Parts: sequence; C-alpha cells; structure tokens
Amino acid sequence: MVEVPAIRVVELRKSFGTLDVLRGVSFDVHRGNVVSMIGASGSGKSTLLRCINRLETPSAGEVYIDGEPMGARVGANGQSSARPLVEINRMRRDLGMVFQQFNLWPHMTVLGNVIEAPIRVRGMSRKDARALGEECLAQVHLSEKSSEYPARLSGGQQQRVAIARALAMRPKAMLFDEPTSSLDPELTDEVLSVMRELAGRGMTMIVVTHEMGFARDASDRVMFLHNGQIEEEGPPEQIFGAPRSERCRQFLSKYRQ
Amino acid sequence: MSDALLEAINPAMFWEYRLVLMRGLAFNAYVFFSSASVALAVGLMAALLRVNRAWPFRWIGTLHVELFRNAPDYIMIVWVHFVLPLLLGKLLGQRIEWPPFVSAVVALGFVYSGYFAETFRAGIQSIPLGHLDAGRACGMSERQILWRIVLPQVVRRMLPEATNQFVSLFKATTIVSLIAVPDLMYQVSMVIQTEMRPLPLYTSAALTYFAVIYVVAGTLRLLSERWRNKIYA
Repeated sequence: MVEVPAIRVVELRKSFGTLDVLRGVSFDVHRGNVVSMIGASGSGKSTLLRCINRLETPSAGEVYIDGEPMGARVGANGQSSARPLVEINRMRRDLGMVFQQFNLWPHMTVLGNVIEAPIRVRGMSRKDARALGEECLAQVHLSEKSSEYPARLSGGQQQRVAIARALAMRPKAMLFDEPTSSLDPELTDEVLSVMRELAGRGMTMIVVTHEMGFARDASDRVMFLHNGQIEEEGPPEQIFGAPRSERCRQFLSKYRQ
Repeated sequence: MSDALLEAINPAMFWEYRLVLMRGLAFNAYVFFSSASVALAVGLMAALLRVNRAWPFRWIGTLHVELFRNAPDYIMIVWVHFVLPLLLGKLLGQRIEWPPFVSAVVALGFVYSGYFAETFRAGIQSIPLGHLDAGRACGMSERQILWRIVLPQVVRRMLPEATNQFVSLFKATTIVSLIAVPDLMYQVSMVIQTEMRPLPLYTSAALTYFAVIYVVAGTLRLLSERWRNKIYA
C-alpha cells in the first residue's frame, strides 16, 4: 500500500503581476518528516509556504493535505469546482503556522492567544480550551507566563507562544516561516530547541529558515529554492556535504566561516 | 457696580429652575447617546466599505464620508426635519412628518458617522496584516477575525480620537433646540422668556456644559489610558 503524503505540492505557480515568484514547484512531505527550505531572499520560500495554507492563492498547481486538494473539491458527479472559503478555513486548521513577526494578538493575554481559535473555530468550551492551552504552553516551557500580555514578553518567548497557539489547533503539520529571523541571536536557541522537541515528537514540519545548523541536524530533507524553483533537494548530508548544484554551493559558502 | 454685576450673574435663578433644566440636560444626554449609537454603527459600516477590496464599495464609502463630513450639522438638522419629509411626501404622495427628536438623532448621527468612519478606517488600517494572517492560519473566518482581532484593537487605538469626537457631538446636541427638541438650551430659552434674565441663565447653562464635558471626557481619557497601557507596554 502506498502511503498518502501529509502534504503534496504539485506544479505550484504564483505570480504577482508580471513577477513570477513560484515557477512550478512539486514535492511531497511524509508524515513525521521535517523538511527545511533554504535559499536566498526572494527565492520564493515564504510565498511557497503561504501558498500551502492558501494565505496566498496559487496562480496554478495544487496542494493536497492528506490527499485532499486544497483549492478544489470533487463533487459526487465527478466534477471538480473551486473550494469555497468556508472549507478552506476548515482545512487550514490542520496546518499550524508560525510567522517571522510572531503576529500575536496584543489585546489578548498569552493564554487568550492560545485558546482563541480552539474556542471560536473548534467550538471548545472555555474550560477544556484552558486545559488544552495550559498543556500547549507547557510544551513550549511558558506555563508561568499564561496571564501576561505579549508586549511584556521577549521576542523568543513571543515566538514560543505563537508555536503554542498553532499547537492548540492540534494540527497535522506545522509551517514555520523564518521563525527566528527577527530574533536576537541569543534568543534563537530557545525557539529552535522547542522546534527540535516538536520534531522529536513526530510532528510533520516544513521550516523556511536561514538557520543552517537546524536545517542540517533537525531535518530529514532539505530543499534549496532558487528563482521560484527547487534547484536541489535531498538529505541534509547531501545538501551540506556534497551539493550537486553550483548555485547551492555558492549559497551555502556564505554561511561557512 | 459690582453688586449689579453679581446680581446679574447670580445663579440662584438656575437653582430655582434646576428640575426643569436637569430634565433638559437629560434630554441632551438622550440625544447624545442615540446619535452616538447611530454615528458609531453607520460610521463602522462606512469604514468597512472604505477598506473593501472592491472599488464600488470603496467609492460608496468615500461618498458617504465626504458628503456627511462636509455638511454643517445645523443645516443637516433643518434639512432632515423640514426638507426630507417634504421630499419623501412628494415621492409617496402623502403627508409625512416625524418628531424633532428623530430628526435630531438622524442628522447628528449621520454627520458624525462621517467623522467616526475616518477614525475607524485609520484604526483598521493600522492593524498589522500579520494579525489577520495569524487568524486565517488558525482557520478563523473573516467575520471572526473582524470582531475578535481587528475591532477590539481598533477600539483601543481610536479611543483618544473618539473622545474628542464625542465631546464635539455632545456640544452639537445643544443646537437641537432649534427644531424644538426640549433640551437644556430649549428649557433655558423658555425660562428666559418668562423671567427676562438671560445673563445668569445662559452663563449657568454654559458652566453646566463645561462641567459635564470636563468631568466625563476626563474620566474617559483616564480609563482609556489605563486600558491601553496594559497592552502597549
């Protein structure tokens, strides 16, 4: 029996006006795998991630979550039609997302941020949601901050709250969009170690990152994006040990001191 | 001379008629709260039109804002009370009229909706788009994002500006006496007609407005500061 990939991306394209950001990207992510996406700024990594949970609508191509196409649905008569936003919202719940800028909601407490979607979207009772929220905050080692407002936390703490917020939706997979890029170097480690713990527990993850150390030792596969296409992909040993592509080699040389 | 002056501004008259005058002031409050509700509701709708992606909606929102923000409230009250019923009456072929209170609330509500729309719009546009993305990524609907993430932040951000507009609106309620809404100014004018002593009555009315606005606006500012500080540390 062939396993259905947790996330399958097929021939994904995205243009903004005349600018082609993604030019036909295809790959599979299997359950429990961690895929790191590296590449220069403007290579399309973030856009690719945002197309996967449809924060951006792809110009062409399709994303399948557990075999279900995100952009279209197939009716009983076999006809496929555009998927309405209500259903896209429902599918998005299964993909947790963590942003570069954290994007915590400043008017809610830490716990408030974490339990908002479980209550509003999953229809959980406040009591159950609180228990779940406390559990998710414990996973990111921030139980003691649950009644603080985000503005009183450090960047690393805010990003860990954002991870807890995504975890509270019990996602099938997590998407990380440069989660440590706006953090001071001494704060990146606390976020990366939480991500490593998640990976260790078998979470399916796609991580857009400039942290080559994380890409090398925490991921099962690394993809190097260039100009909206996957220039090279493979296990970290290959990408960091003996990259086949000249561009990939050049890119990585900038990260070696 | 100073005795005559003291006699002229003696507020005893105001005290004597305090019940009538307080009833008038209560009417001001009534007009204020009603028109503020209209202004907030209509203003929010206009603001949402103004930030809509489709241009016809944006166009309607802009038209609304420009039309009502640039219409003097005095003229709007007169127009809504005297001209609008005539127009509608001609269209429907029957006599139409409504109480002065309704005209006052509709006119002031719509004029101030123009201002509130701009305050709401500025507030909505100041919310980082990432906050919306975070909501969408959690599967929240656009409506949930608006009511749970955007508007609660907008309200906090717009409070200082909105307080100023509430003060203007409250002051504007004094001109509703023009179409015989029995507010404080209307009551004062009535008493002056029988007592023939405008000086103490008008002065007291001015001081009353000052005191009410000063205390209420001050309290509102204090509360909103405290509320905001918790979040924007």
